[in-house]
Amino acid sequence: MAKIKFKKLRLTKKVFSIPYILFLLLFVVIPLVLILVNAFLDSDNNLTLENFKVFFTSRANLIVLGNSLLVGIITTAFCLLIGYPVAYICSKMSSGKIIVLLYILPMFVNFLIRTLATKAIFIAMGVELGMGTVLFGMVYNYLPFMILPLHTTLSSIDKSYSEAAQDLGANKATVFLKTTLPLSTSGIISGITMVFIPTISTYAISQLLSNGKIFLFGDSIQLSFEQGLYGVGSIMSLVMLAFVLISNLIMNAFNSNSNAVRRSLW
Amino acid sequence: MKKIIKLSFVILVIICLLLPLFVACNKKDDEDGGTDRLVIYNWEDYIDSDLLDEFAEYYEEVTGNSLEITYTTFDTNETMMTKVLKGDANVDLICPSDYAIEKLLKADCLLNQKDIYNELKPQLDELGIDFEGMSSLGKGSGNIEDEVIDVITDMFSAVKSKDGKPYTEYMTPYMWGTLGILYNVNIVSEEELDEYGWGVLWNVQENEELENKILMKDSVRDTYAAAVLYMKEYDLLPEGYGYEDYSIGDLINCTDDAMLSAAEKVLTEQREHISGYEVDFGKDDMLNEIVYADFAWSGDALWAIEESYDEETDEYLLGYYVPEIGSNIWYDGWVIPTSVNNKLAAMMFIEYMCQPMSAARNSMEIGYTSAADKELMRNDVEVCEFLEENEYDVDEYFEDEGRYPEINEKLGVMRDFGTRGEALVQMWQRAKSGNGVSPVLWWCLLGITGGVGLAFGIYFLVQSLRYRPRKIKPISPEKNNE
Repeated sequence: MAKIKFKKLRLTKKVFSIPYILFLLLFVVIPLVLILVNAFLDSDNNLTLENFKVFFTSRANLIVLGNSLLVGIITTAFCLLIGYPVAYICSKMSSGKIIVLLYILPMFVNFLIRTLATKAIFIAMGVELGMGTVLFGMVYNYLPFMILPLHTTLSSIDKSYSEAAQDLGANKATVFLKTTLPLSTSGIISGITMVFIPTISTYAISQLLSNGKIFLFGDSIQLSFEQGLYGVGSIMSLVMLAFVLISNLIMNAFNSNSNAVRRSLW
Repeated sequence: MKKIIKLSFVILVIICLLLPLFVACNKKDDEDGGTDRLVIYNWEDYIDSDLLDEFAEYYEEVTGNSLEITYTTFDTNETMMTKVLKGDANVDLICPSDYAIEKLLKADCLLNQKDIYNELKPQLDELGIDFEGMSSLGKGSGNIEDEVIDVITDMFSAVKSKDGKPYTEYMTPYMWGTLGILYNVNIVSEEELDEYGWGVLWNVQENEELENKILMKDSVRDTYAAAVLYMKEYDLLPEGYGYEDYSIGDLINCTDDAMLSAAEKVLTEQREHISGYEVDFGKDDMLNEIVYADFAWSGDALWAIEESYDEETDEYLLGYYVPEIGSNIWYDGWVIPTSVNNKLAAMMFIEYMCQPMSAARNSMEIGYTSAADKELMRNDVEVCEFLEENEYDVDEYFEDEGRYPEINEKLGVMRDFGTRGEALVQMWQRAKSGNGVSPVLWWCLLGITGGVGLAFGIYFLVQSLRYRPRKIKPISPEKNNE
């Protein structure tokens, strides 16, 4: 009797996943296939490779891509440099959770409103809008995504590891470098992934905080689709996807190489 | 049995998901006979919205059926066209710009308004109404300004539908205007504008206060027009193609490779002098004196000038200037797409918009110049009263050159660029992406790697100093023995 009941339960569990699978098919897989198909079509729907030629031979497109990658790397580096100490200190304090909450607080406001407010502040301060303000906006917007996974990982590290290291005669710097840092690798990696991937595809922030003067890859894709250049736009999206996949692979490789406790948010 | 349970569960879930859809579909079908619908697809902030309710009342008065108006908006012609060309726009009326109408007409998406009129004629006679104000019925220009109709006829005479009917039978003009420079009177003087024309947007006069305080339109067609006009003014047009003899209209419609690369060059140069590109916040930034010159559409400019009036000093902060060398003249018009469901209401709405009073109210609300006949509006008692109510001097209102510029050969209409549009967009992408990777980025990258490298270097240096192997004194064997 009990056996039958159990079987039925398992059955329903499976069934419950079907709506989500349908959702994925409809809104993730089919659009991706459409993008792939579009990449090989010209404006009259004929099969062509012209779009690839247009994209890869244009110096401007490659400059924009390079700019975006650099912005992504720099934003991620800044977020890590600022976020790690914050997360580290918070994980040591008893009231750390509340302080982390304060860091996440700006995220309760819609990011467009936040960015517009940032722009207003810069204008009021007389700061000229440009690459500097764009970088600031990026770091400001994505910092919480770095702090959160770092804080989770750091506060879940067992204290006895660093105590043991101290017992064995390591000074504070060595304790940090040889125990805490390696143990928090998974947090660093999920933080980097969560910041780097959205930054290379972002477009509204750069547009708003530089009055459209800084033109990143996301802006380029948006412009292409808006102006009806679906072929080139699709190729740009594919290139972006490739970069996201590559960075994911690299991150995963790092993650499995480290012997740390694998406890990441995602 | 298990399979059946499983299957029925799946079907149940799907039905639950699709249920709202069915409900929505059904609602449309069991409408009661007395309600008609009208779906309007217009620009954002492009109508006095009270007129919508008033039109619904008027419609009920005439036909006896109540009217439910759905008003949806778009922000660029491209957004609208994507929707309409893909057949996703289930609307009765659209208000696109000049070139967009051309494109939609070529794609066979529009209905001929004269044909609709003839089809509806018996019904109209029954209702006792006629469409006198529309210009698209082949009976003259109706309530629409003759000069505007002439410009359109002139420019689009070659554009015909597939069955050979003229462009003008497919649209009724709604608003029109020019492109020009909205400027701050305290920073940019009129002499400067007279002398340098479009060059002001490149800050050729090297006005220090203006440097990096200029906004351009983040819209490829308009910015291209500005670049071409600037090149014409400063003799930068590519030589050897005979562009010197082109009229303004021909020039801004020329998308040859030579012209494109010349335009790319001047637009790239311009990046050094401007604050950025905008489509919506330019007016506000001008009013707040964040920037001092803005490449603007006349309607936006007139609206901003009204707003900039200072009661204490009785002066306007902003001014609008159309350079002598020439500019672009544009218009938006009502068209009826093939997806129309209620032809009568659509036609009646266009007619309603052509009435002098509706035209005056729309103009007042949005700042743009109505395409309705100027003299007709001026002689309309109601319109004059309305203008005076809003503290306008009637003569001043109609003689304002910003609002009613003189239409001559120096104002050119921009047409659809067809297949050359792609080349233009690619040029625009190149111009916007600039010449290379920003040096700021390299410095940041260098700084971060340097900083991290330095920190690690110091750490290892300290470590190696502290734990360097010490000399250990040999322990004497005697002591050991003890």
